[in-house]
Amino acid sequence: MLLKTSLRSFFAHKGRMALSLIAVVLSVAFVSGTLVFSNTATSTFDKLFAATASDVSVQPPKPADDEDPQPGDKPETVPAALAQQVAAVPGMKTAVGQVMVHNATLVNPATNKLVGPTSGAPTLVGNWTDTPRNPVTITSGHAPQGAGELVLDADTAKKAELGLGDKLRIDNAGGKHEFTIAGIATFTTTNPGAALAFLDTATSQQVLLGEPAYTSIEAFGDGSRSNDQLKADALAKVGGGYQVKTAAEQKDENNKSIGSGLNFMKYAMLGFAGVSLIVGGFLIINTFSMLVAQRTREIGLLRAIGGSRRQVNRSVLVEALILGVLGSTLGIGVGLGIAVGLIKLMNAIGMDLKASDLQIGPDVFAAGYAVGILITVVAAWIPARRASRIAPMAALRDHGTPAEPRANVVRTVLGLLLTAGGGGLLVLAAKAEKAATGGQYLGLGVLLTLIGFVVLGPLLATSVIRVLGALLPALFGPSGKLAQRNAMRNPRRTGATAAALMIGLALVIASSVFSSSAVTSASAQIDRSVGVDYIISGGRTAITAEMLDAVRRTPGIDHVTSEKDFDAKVQLPDGQTKRTGLAAVPPTFFGTDFRLPVASGAVESIGRGSLGIGENFAKDHNLKVGDSVTVTYLKGHTQVLQVGVVFAKSSLYGDASFVDVATMAKAVPAADVPEPRTFFAKAAAGADAAKTLTALEDALKEYPQLSVKDQAGYKELVQSQVNTLLYLIYGLVGLSITVAVLGVVNTLALSVVERTREIGLLRAIGLSRRQLRRMIRLESVVIALFGAVLGTGLGLAWGVTVQRVLRDQGLGELSVPTTTIAITLVSSVVIGLVAALVPAFRAGRMNVLAAIATD
Amino acid sequence: MTTAAAVYDPQLPGGASAVAASARQVTKAYGSGETKVTALDAVDVDIQRGRFTAIMGPSGSGKSTLMHCLAGLDTVSGGRIWIGDTEITGLKDKQLTRLRRDKIGFIFQAFNLLPTLNALENITLPMDIAGRKPDQAWLDQVVETVGLAGRLKHRPTQLSGGQQQRVAVARALAARPEIIFGDEPTGNLDSRAGAEVLTFLRRSVDELGQTMVMVTHDPVAAGYADRVLFLADGVIVDEMHAPTADSVLERMRRFDGKRTS
Repeated sequence: MLLKTSLRSFFAHKGRMALSLIAVVLSVAFVSGTLVFSNTATSTFDKLFAATASDVSVQPPKPADDEDPQPGDKPETVPAALAQQVAAVPGMKTAVGQVMVHNATLVNPATNKLVGPTSGAPTLVGNWTDTPRNPVTITSGHAPQGAGELVLDADTAKKAELGLGDKLRIDNAGGKHEFTIAGIATFTTTNPGAALAFLDTATSQQVLLGEPAYTSIEAFGDGSRSNDQLKADALAKVGGGYQVKTAAEQKDENNKSIGSGLNFMKYAMLGFAGVSLIVGGFLIINTFSMLVAQRTREIGLLRAIGGSRRQVNRSVLVEALILGVLGSTLGIGVGLGIAVGLIKLMNAIGMDLKASDLQIGPDVFAAGYAVGILITVVAAWIPARRASRIAPMAALRDHGTPAEPRANVVRTVLGLLLTAGGGGLLVLAAKAEKAATGGQYLGLGVLLTLIGFVVLGPLLATSVIRVLGALLPALFGPSGKLAQRNAMRNPRRTGATAAALMIGLALVIASSVFSSSAVTSASAQIDRSVGVDYIISGGRTAITAEMLDAVRRTPGIDHVTSEKDFDAKVQLPDGQTKRTGLAAVPPTFFGTDFRLPVASGAVESIGRGSLGIGENFAKDHNLKVGDSVTVTYLKGHTQVLQVGVVFAKSSLYGDASFVDVATMAKAVPAADVPEPRTFFAKAAAGADAAKTLTALEDALKEYPQLSVKDQAGYKELVQSQVNTLLYLIYGLVGLSITVAVLGVVNTLALSVVERTREIGLLRAIGLSRRQLRRMIRLESVVIALFGAVLGTGLGLAWGVTVQRVLRDQGLGELSVPTTTIAITLVSSVVIGLVAALVPAFRAGRMNVLAAIATD
Repeated sequence: MTTAAAVYDPQLPGGASAVAASARQVTKAYGSGETKVTALDAVDVDIQRGRFTAIMGPSGSGKSTLMHCLAGLDTVSGGRIWIGDTEITGLKDKQLTRLRRDKIGFIFQAFNLLPTLNALENITLPMDIAGRKPDQAWLDQVVETVGLAGRLKHRPTQLSGGQQQRVAVARALAARPEIIFGDEPTGNLDSRAGAEVLTFLRRSVDELGQTMVMVTHDPVAAGYADRVLFLADGVIVDEMHAPTADSVLERMRRFDGKRTS
């Protein structure tokens, strides 16, 4: 019986349900789409690695305590003789020496354009080997032979419009090496988007490694023994700290590194899902509260004729269940579409996933239905409980517009406590010494203030709308007055409707405060601290002496400065060892090129062989000018240095330490000095800045991997990097705002239905259609504006706190984007107007007599 | 059938002073073909200015339809209707709305007031909508007449049913409409509260010179009127001047007998 009532009621309110349905569908779609996408990607790479991994791979020893190899560093190698040793392991069929490096750039010498991906997937250059599991086969031409030939993968060749016989250049720390394309190789598995180039083994050793060695030995068993047995024997044979990995271990490792790239995408998508879930939750709560409110009499009757509280409760929940199941089913369908879209997006950036290989596992359905049904039922449970509490006679007497209780004391106290607690945490975050501690307070503070505002929403609705709406009667006459009263009459509903919008707009404001502060801070920092005129950064390959020379020779350039970055360890006077980023710089660095603020000591001391350290490092480890420490550069070269200067907090170089190049050279042989990745040039006095920039670009046109920026260009680069992040956030927020608009439409549509009689009465006593529509539009605008005001308030609080927390991490200057805030408030008015379109139209169409006669 | 129609043509100049509303050959039909239902069948009626007219009849007689048509709330299938000098048949929604706002007052059976506005705001709502300032002296007089002086700041939910209807009466009176229509204004009240409201309606006609038309099925309510029109099957079948509750009840009974015979 109850199921029938629920079903009937569900279909009787199709329109209303449709709006809630959209919210459920969106949330489920993002959750399931993300899952399908990451499942598909994982399985694709799983297959790729399974198809290509050797049974046992012998790799160079692990660098001592997780010193991460820097891009551009010389690759670690294993001696060539190791191949025979590994091949001699019982049960081993072959062992192939492999050369494969990341630190080379492919350049088309005809156009001086980069060949291969510029971001994301790597460019790999190595030796052509014949292994049983080669990821590519040569489809035209032949394998590389001799010093001048190269094989390029087909996808890269196609993108770069290169073919057999064309020239291709390999740039690396060793200089420029030109080759002729002798063969085109096609992936036998999915191309993960990388560019592959192969030379013959001797050439690759000479050009890429500079020594007759390999980067790894790939060995394949004859099937008589397991990989683990092979690994154990190989390990025993080679010894010497080499890393030996089975196929499974290689696969795991590769998956992990690919995974970290895909994770960003995954988390962004889950962010979308989360936001649409939260906002959708509000929409569902509102829908069901209103459905229940409308059916108060029906529920009263049900209770009067003997329906139990539980039955009433259940009838509402069953409706929610239907909505949840329907929404989840549709959502999973839409999610597949999203997954396909993501795969297309990955294709566009060069990762070759196939939409036909979609992996739709049971976990997709489990997660999709769990999320969809759970959120719907939980959101519906609140109004259902409220409905069942209504006394039967009170419900029967009701005239369709239940007077909601005013925000009660518990809610007020709880809301105030949460908001105050959250506010307190934000203040703590802003005052925290360390960004990490501040970040923790910030996260919790954001959460608490958000919940606090949601809880306080109904209370704020009454007070804020009284103020916001005060102008309405004066501006819009009776429509304004009625709109203001209507917006305040169901504070709980208004609060929940506005909360959905509030969340989205708070995110917009907070992230725009963050981004505009980041841009302003970076510009200010550059203006204050940077004396060089040009910043030249390399891609994934090292900066070579040739490049430095090319810049030095450019007319108008006074001098070139480069820094060499180490990941160094510092032994403190008390014996402890701490890690720090260390830059070795030439004397001109602090002379004319950079002006870093000094906390104590003298900058000149660095030139005299002292160490410069950051303020935080000094404070954390009780160091002061005059203290002696032992610095360990990479590869165990050590040196005792005296602290000569402590730099004040500045974002440009973070908390890095500095030594002079000459000081460093005393301890580290030239071969172990890392290549610089960025260098700087200063224009000669009186040189024309624009002309010099053009000359520089001209001088470096052979090196497409370098990017040349003057200060203005560098600022633009920072801005565009920040904006990329911002657009992602805006996309997320756009979604939540869409759902929020649906919420406003829903609330208004239901209010119009609930107030049918009132509208009839108003029309009967002479309210014109225009005035009526205006009344509804204004109510909508007031609700939207209320949400926007709360959102702006929250967002500003969050944004300012973020800036304070990151004040030493590059966000030194607070910049409040007033334009964005103005646009947000204005667009909230537009949102209100748009949301009111349909409800206002329908109210205007209402038949006066029929409206009055409604009960 | 009605005698008043013969002596008065609303289009004649000077007649406006005697008649507040009139209908000529007003027909209202729902549906078409075999399912056609005629609610009003060529009704002629004149509502005298400054008088209290009651419209009676059994359920389905068309009495509410007649009132709705006269008040411009419903459209007619045929015939013409005037409010004062204005012919309302053929007016557009906009003009009709303005007419209702400026020239007509309404008292419905229930749900007469906006819950978001207090009593005073409800009373002045039609003038608010029109953007007119209420005439304070008149407003005071109306509030005094309906006895609401102490309750003007109350919300409808804080008022009894009788008080709510009195606020509705005050609202109808406050804008000084040409004519007030009541749709069973005491239908939801007990007899004491009903009598109170009817007394106010009577006083507004006697003391304030208001024109009043009331649809009712209650002979006691009709007894407060100057004249009662009896409707049956969409036709005015009789009328009575200076009625009492007893005489109306008597007439209704005869009329019921006539119908059943």
